[in-house]
Amino acid sequence: MATKEKEQELIKRLQDAIINYKVAEAKKIADEAVAVGADAYTVTMEGLAGGMEVVSEKFDSHEYFVPETLLCAKALYAALDVLKPHIQVKEGGAQGQVVLGVMQGDVHDLGKNIIKAIFEASGWTVHDLGRDVPLQKFVDEQLKTDSDIVMLSAMMTTSMVGIKKLIPMIKEKNPKVKIMIGGAPITEKTVEEYGADTTADNAPNALREAMKMLETLRKGKAA
Amino acid sequence: MSRKEEMTSLERVATTLQFKEPDRVPAAPLVCGASCRVAGISLGEWSEGDNVEMMVRGHLESLELIGHDGVVMLVDLSVEAADFGCEMVFPHYDTAHPNYDNPFIKNPKEDYKKIARINPRKTKRMKSVIDTISGLSKVIGKTHAIVGFVYGSIGVMSMLRGPEAFFTDLVEYPEEVEAALRVMDEVLNEYAVAQIEAGAHSICYDHLYASQSVLSKNLWEKFEGPSIKKVCTTVRNAGALVSLHNCGNGIYFDMSEKWANPHAISHAYVADDVDSWEEHKAKWGGKIATIGWIPPGPVAMLGTPDEVEEECKAEIDIFAKGGGFILATGCEYPVNAPLLNARRIVEAAKKYGVYK
Repeated sequence: MATKEKEQELIKRLQDAIINYKVAEAKKIADEAVAVGADAYTVTMEGLAGGMEVVSEKFDSHEYFVPETLLCAKALYAALDVLKPHIQVKEGGAQGQVVLGVMQGDVHDLGKNIIKAIFEASGWTVHDLGRDVPLQKFVDEQLKTDSDIVMLSAMMTTSMVGIKKLIPMIKEKNPKVKIMIGGAPITEKTVEEYGADTTADNAPNALREAMKMLETLRKGKAA
Repeated sequence: MSRKEEMTSLERVATTLQFKEPDRVPAAPLVCGASCRVAGISLGEWSEGDNVEMMVRGHLESLELIGHDGVVMLVDLSVEAADFGCEMVFPHYDTAHPNYDNPFIKNPKEDYKKIARINPRKTKRMKSVIDTISGLSKVIGKTHAIVGFVYGSIGVMSMLRGPEAFFTDLVEYPEEVEAALRVMDEVLNEYAVAQIEAGAHSICYDHLYASQSVLSKNLWEKFEGPSIKKVCTTVRNAGALVSLHNCGNGIYFDMSEKWANPHAISHAYVADDVDSWEEHKAKWGGKIATIGWIPPGPVAMLGTPDEVEEECKAEIDIFAKGGGFILATGCEYPVNAPLLNARRIVEAAKKYGVYK
């Protein structure tokens, strides 16, 4: 069992490794955290999520761009792979679940992968279906996992049109599920016309939107 | 009809690019792949480029149907990558793309060296673009603007490697990437020359990653600065006009000016150093002409013809004064959008864009 001081020191070092995209260093610190018996959940949430929060801020303020963010995500996964088997989720600590994928006929998965990293770092369970995903697969995965949100990505108008068909398919099986859509051709108008719940123009905004939708869903359940 | 209204499309475009007012605002809604529907072939067949005659016919009949002032030779962004050896997928009704499960560059330490100096005139896809320009030039070379197209060096490289791995390579394997880019520069340069010789009046260089959406200014200029400078200098020396395309958000107009000094940029969003289209016009409107910026998805594709007209009017109101403006979509006209909306764009230019 690590002392509180040691745990805090590891968290700080892990944050720095993520922010400065030191992949090997991030893995080394995660190994050390496991070896000294630090709480893997706390280290993940405060070290990894804390680090990615700073990365999101830097992305928002145009200090970091796509390459830097991808490298931070690489460092994140190097540490997360080590910590994940040791995580015991604390009461009230878990975030929601999302099904995430790129629409059928579309292979542009860069934005989707950045979103995945930021959501996983923030404690969400992400069911990543990859790219060029058949419509029915989204429906099946949502039902199988009972995910709160389905997130659909499309970078082309030819793949975007599949969203219009897919949303009723998902909502028919589960009317409460929330749908977020994103990608170059998608705007508020698309959200309105296709019956989605929201959109976001980058990963940090997607996380903020997801948090809001999760809160609404949980209030609905509690009521 | 006044003298000014008797300009040919080519004169109209040339006049506005000199920041002078032509008879009316030129309209060029970037109807590229969508022309396959007029030609009556699938997008996959169109992209493979085996039937140049059909592509020429598709562009010419689109011109007849829509009435735009210029043709842009974008097929898709994988033309150059395919000829460098990238394994391709040609879906019937979707945009062609590399097979990212089997990228050309797998091992960054070794595989960037595989980029070889190829002759665009002897390739499959680049040659089909050159030949299409040649075919078009014979018919409309004296009346309409023909704009060749080159996907920028780092864009092509990202197709060969896969974008995600490529972006991290810029930081992790910069020397390998740079060495490969300098080989690629020669090929892209030659491709631009071949298109001009075939009859292109301008070459549009797509510097997609020069925006806040993707790369920092430092990283962009380090890798693509030399490439774009080489190609654009060659284009200018060959007597053709330099245009750029970038549909990213917050485009680096200052970097574009520094490295390419373009006559025009085709864009969907404002420059990174302004906050509105009015500001953009005030800051950049007298230096770099704007080709844009009708939103392809929400307006060209999902909008009603009246909404298209309303958008066009608003853009003309802001940008037409003094020339330096071609009314167009901010990115390629969606291949699956109603073609009558493209015609409405041209009609709007005629209705609201007449200079008095």
